[in-house]
Amino acid sequence: MHRVRLLIMLTAGLLALALGIGVAVWYRSAPDATALLALSLPDTHGVEQPLAQWRGKVLVVNYWATWCGPCREEMPEFVRAQRDLGPQGVQFVGIAVDKPEPVAQFSKELELNYPALIGGNDAVELTRPLGNHLAALPFTVILDREGHIVYAQMGPFKSEQLRSIIGKII
Amino acid sequence: MRSLKGHGRVLVAGVAAALLSFASWPLTAQVDPLPPEKAFRFSARLVDAGTVEARFVIADGYYLYRDRIHFAIEPAAAGLSVPPLPEGTIKQDQFFGPVETYRGDVVVRLALKNPKPGEMIVIAAESQGCADIGLCYPPTVQHVALALPEAGKGPAAPNAAPSRAWFN
Repeated sequence: MHRVRLLIMLTAGLLALALGIGVAVWYRSAPDATALLALSLPDTHGVEQPLAQWRGKVLVVNYWATWCGPCREEMPEFVRAQRDLGPQGVQFVGIAVDKPEPVAQFSKELELNYPALIGGNDAVELTRPLGNHLAALPFTVILDREGHIVYAQMGPFKSEQLRSIIGKII
Repeated sequence: MRSLKGHGRVLVAGVAAALLSFASWPLTAQVDPLPPEKAFRFSARLVDAGTVEARFVIADGYYLYRDRIHFAIEPAAAGLSVPPLPEGTIKQDQFFGPVETYRGDVVVRLALKNPKPGEMIVIAAESQGCADIGLCYPPTVQHVALALPEAGKGPAAPNAAPSRAWFN
């Protein structure tokens, strides 16, 4: 009987310890948007655009490139979502790992209605701790109005998936 | 005692599972693609004292862009002559028009313009490709070091030392 009680207590104690350590590990590994929001990148006209200017909005930061077919394929939906959800405080920002000329040309063709910034290696390196361990494209991060990262995804969104995530924090 | 040990094991497994589940960030939706150096595995070997056979082995479900493959050699004085790459499969791209891609193996014979017997050379292969699951990799550079044979000897065994870097 004693042995059973001891076992129960030991189990409870260890579970509490696991919970404590688990929370600590999670807290430390939860991605931090500080570095992302501190970014300032040029747009296709060479004008520096600090990401912090969109604080207070639901921010969807999409890493893409013109040489990335899957990136381009999902962008028309971003344009529609910006048009539909923009009035509710949703801001899309594209960070192109690319040269300004093809980005400007593609933005024009797509009638891009949100900023296209030009990012280099450093901008992509920032995404590794956010879950983009291969620095692959597309990669999208969604921040709530307080600037906390609520979602990050490597690879394109499935239809309606993006709006469903945004809908929860809008 | 035996049952306590058994329970102990279960407990340890439970705690480990709890820790692992906490340690992984639950908000990230992850796919599980190969790293580029495994998706586009590069190797090179000496065919003779003045010729290097360069090869990309492309994993199933991945493809490389023909016009984004570039080779370089170090030391530059060894000189590299790159023939036209083999024809790829033409794919219509909405933005770029027709683009050629490779799947499977790509083999190119590179000629050394000024090989010095006994010299170490490094072949740098830049490539850029994508995965069918809807991901593209940034341009990646892989390196292979080769020892040129001493005068009058056959080619030495290749010393593969792949590494990655960004090109922009």
